Amino acid sequence: MTKTYLKTSFILALICACAAFILAELNGVTAPKIAAYEAQKTLSALEAVSNGQNIGDEEFVTDNGIVSAYYPLTTEGKTTGYLLKMGKSGYGGMVNLVASFDLNGLVTAAKVVSDSETPGLGKKSEEDWYMTKFIGTDPIPTKKSELSADDAAAISGASITFGAVSAALDAGSQFVKTKGAK
Amino acid sequence: MSNHTHELTKGIFEDNPTFTLMLGLCPTLGVTTMVSNAIGMGFSVLFVLTCSNIMISLLRNVIPDSVRIPSYIVIIASFVTIIEMVLHAFMPALYASLGVYLPLIVVNCIILGRAEAFANKNTVFDSLLDGIGMGIGFTISLTVIAFIREVLGAGQITLFPMGSWNGIITIPGIHTWPVRVMTLAPGALLLMGFLKAAYDVLVANKAKKAKKAKTEATA
Repeated sequence: MTKTYLKTSFILALICACAAFILAELNGVTAPKIAAYEAQKTLSALEAVSNGQNIGDEEFVTDNGIVSAYYPLTTEGKTTGYLLKMGKSGYGGMVNLVASFDLNGLVTAAKVVSDSETPGLGKKSEEDWYMTKFIGTDPIPTKKSELSADDAAAISGASITFGAVSAALDAGSQFVKTKGAK
Repeated sequence: MSNHTHELTKGIFEDNPTFTLMLGLCPTLGVTTMVSNAIGMGFSVLFVLTCSNIMISLLRNVIPDSVRIPSYIVIIASFVTIIEMVLHAFMPALYASLGVYLPLIVVNCIILGRAEAFANKNTVFDSLLDGIGMGIGFTISLTVIAFIREVLGAGQITLFPMGSWNGIITIPGIHTWPVRVMTLAPGALLLMGFLKAAYDVLVANKAKKAKKAKTEATA
């Protein structure tokens, strides 16, 4: 009986080990390409939300559960706002986004960089029109009831994604307001 | 029809995974909003199904019966991870479009169903043919559903971008006034019902013709 258990365990372990080895080897080939693609995607997103302002050096944030890094935005050497990297858990995993804020904490532009939301529902957050409801609004709408009828209909079926995006932008706005006070 | 030819072609019509076996309906309804997604998902399933069928058939006398399901899942998950890594690295746009449905191929009933019902009882070559046939059948079904849904629901056909061409064919008229419900879940279910009915009529007619031919031959 013990022999059978040992044999069965050995075979299953061997299959797992072979699978792990093959995947590790393939990861060695694909990981650099994936990293380069993700870096390019983040850079494009940063440029897309910077509104033509100069992007300063990246500063990491360790004491905030949502904001992971920020970049000062400058025009003619003067700080005009901040560009933030944020992440909040959505329906299918983390929703990572970048957004620019003016010094008063108002969103000037925002873009979802990566997510695993449902195609046709939460994935709509990647489209440009999705962020218009947050731009220049104070306070940032975090509930469906705070949206216009059209905007509420547009997020229908993807309330959790909306919650993640709005909470991230709200946290970003609070972060910038705190920085402004300093 | 030879036995090998039958193994290859049965998945395309006779035992079509979508319309006869009614397997893998979650991605079928989920990704068929665009033709490019359907083709991408179809070929991903074809790859995983063929490779896992071959591997499971190869190991059918080695894997103990008590751990066959965990072993199959490890094999299938490995091939799904391979296709996921490759698409992420080399076709990032398609990878992003397929989203959560790509890793969900691991639990696609077609893959585990064919492993359990066919690959662990048949030779490697027959399992290879079964995987290819079922994969092609699934790809055709998905593409047909996606074509109808995208044409009616968005008035366009999304293929893969090539050079300066963005890969989108716009259909004048419908593009301005699309039937939006077709891109939503109710539209997918509605279309699935109509296509299943049409498929059943075709199967019934085919069976009727075969019966008539048999009767005439006997007479």
